[in-house]
Amino acid sequence: MRAPALFRTTPFRMTLLFLALFAAGAGAFLIYIYLATAGEVNRRARAEINREVQTVNRAYVRGGVNAVNQLVIERSITDPLYVGLLMRPDGRKISGTLETTPAEPATGVDDWVSFSLSGRESVGRQIRLPSGELLFVGVDVEDQRGYVLRVARASWGAGALVLLLGLAGGVLISRRASNYMAGLSGAVSAVRAGDLQARAPLRGTGDEYDELAGGMNDMLDRIEKLMGGVRHAGDAIAHDLRTPLTRLRSRLEVALLEVEAGRGDPQGALEQALQDADDLLKTFGAVLAISRLQAAGQAPDPAPFDAGELAAGVAELYEPVCEDKGVEFLAELDPDLVATGNKAFVAQALANLIDNAVKYTPPGGAVRVRARRRSSGEVEFSVTDTGPGVPEADRARIAQRFVRLENSRSEPGVGLGLSLVAAVAEAHGGRLEITEGPGEANGFGPGLRTALVLAGS
Amino acid sequence: MRLLIVEDDEEASATMCRGLGEAGHQCVTAPDGASGLRAAQKGGFDVLVVDRMMPRMDGVTMVEELRRDGDNTPVLFLSALGEIEDRVAGLKAGGDDYLVKPYALAELVARVEALARRRETGSVQTQLRVGELEMDLIGRTVHRAGKDIDLQPREFQLLEFLMRHAGQSVTRTMLLEKVWEYHFDPQTNVIDVHISRLRSKIDKGFAKPMLQTVRGAGYRLEA
Repeated sequence: MRAPALFRTTPFRMTLLFLALFAAGAGAFLIYIYLATAGEVNRRARAEINREVQTVNRAYVRGGVNAVNQLVIERSITDPLYVGLLMRPDGRKISGTLETTPAEPATGVDDWVSFSLSGRESVGRQIRLPSGELLFVGVDVEDQRGYVLRVARASWGAGALVLLLGLAGGVLISRRASNYMAGLSGAVSAVRAGDLQARAPLRGTGDEYDELAGGMNDMLDRIEKLMGGVRHAGDAIAHDLRTPLTRLRSRLEVALLEVEAGRGDPQGALEQALQDADDLLKTFGAVLAISRLQAAGQAPDPAPFDAGELAAGVAELYEPVCEDKGVEFLAELDPDLVATGNKAFVAQALANLIDNAVKYTPPGGAVRVRARRRSSGEVEFSVTDTGPGVPEADRARIAQRFVRLENSRSEPGVGLGLSLVAAVAEAHGGRLEITEGPGEANGFGPGLRTALVLAGS
Repeated sequence: MRLLIVEDDEEASATMCRGLGEAGHQCVTAPDGASGLRAAQKGGFDVLVVDRMMPRMDGVTMVEELRRDGDNTPVLFLSALGEIEDRVAGLKAGGDDYLVKPYALAELVARVEALARRRETGSVQTQLRVGELEMDLIGRTVHRAGKDIDLQPREFQLLEFLMRHAGQSVTRTMLLEKVWEYHFDPQTNVIDVHISRLRSKIDKGFAKPMLQTVRGAGYRLEA
């Protein structure tokens, strides 16, 4: 998978979206501030002009046009920012800081006027005195306006800076995110191309990316294991069935030759063939059961069950077999022992363990079945016999499929019993333990102890 | 007995018919679920042997359909699916027994006969009687020709099953499944040992052995 172009990455798009929202919000805020400030400047200017008009009116009441003229002249001299013009009724100047009125028309009254006075922003208003003269009163607002404009400009500048920084941040975040994702994408691409061993790199930060990568790796592990299991099961079944099939075929062939030659026993040959076929099917069933358990990775329908009761049931099934063979049978089963799992599979596994023990213990020996809780909390089913045991070097091997040690060749069985127990143990998150029995005594032993250990509950 | 075999593999159903014919039963075959259902609806069968997976209506659907119509003819499911869940699903759909392929012909015959018998003895019984042998299901006592026979609980269940199927062959697998409720195949013939113990209790000291071994099949309790 190719890494997407920067502007197509999710983090970058998110940054852009966030920036757009931020810019819109900040812009609206700035426009509001600007309008509010500009309005305030206007309001103050008008209030000042209205005050001045009142002062003029009072002066007029006191001393007529002359008093007003005096006021205008006084103001013009003392206040450098004063803007005012006293005119005759026809608009000609009497006194003041202006030469002509900015009002339009020149003799108009009471209109608010914005105008520029030698490049400076001003506002004003023209009134008519009761005796007919015109007076224009103005205020220089350049400084206040300039302040507002500077604030606005600074704000826009700051906004641009924020956008720029945000964009850079977006690029940076996207780059980082892209780098994280590149690991995942790489692993996915490799797996898609057929490399099941590819894994996403972990950075050890424990963040959500690592969690995702870890989860994906676990998933790939599981898939790889399942694939391996399926492949192995296929190979094993093909291999395991070839030998007995070949044997069956050659026996039938020989029997046919013998019958053709007038010798041999047709019925006996058929019975033998039937027996071979049954054994073959038994093997097939066992291999299939083991493969399915291994492929599924866990036992179907796990439920809590009474482990002591289950062991008692299986023990009861085998006790008469022991007795018939002259082998002492002991069962030590703890009460209230609860384990969780698939009862049927656990029962079959325990039956296999007891079956093995009884098979390899000579008359006069003993087999002991125990079900107990270990101090670790695990539930243990153990079967101990006083047979010849298995040399330590071979113990790891006997749970493998079809491994039959030299001295067991004479016993019935196909060598799948312990493999099934191991598969059942694994499917329950437990294990099969194979250790030495009670040791040698009176010509017996050293014996073997096999234990199916399941997680307790 | 009249049996209906619903199985899509013609060779398999022909072999089944030959085998069941040898055992004295009459067979009618149907190659798929739909025609099997039509044949079954006409009635007159003692047991239906139904394959689970077939074209044009699978076995489970067919039996469900049949049960909806109120038809209670015993059904034996045949299946290549031997997992516990599959078995449960088959029995839930209205099957009475479940046989996993591949199976021995003797096993099929024994189970079909057992199913037909189950139908005859529908009422709840408190007493079982086979020849001289008497079983009191409430008092949990067994007598043969008036002589008290002391049995362990499991031996009692084993004998009860044999008495309920007296005169029929029952296989080791059937005993393991129905008496012990285990669905696996023990490597050692544990059932033989239990049978021989039971035999020593009910047949010892009597001239006529009742619990007989059927070669290639299993056991049979004869009056």
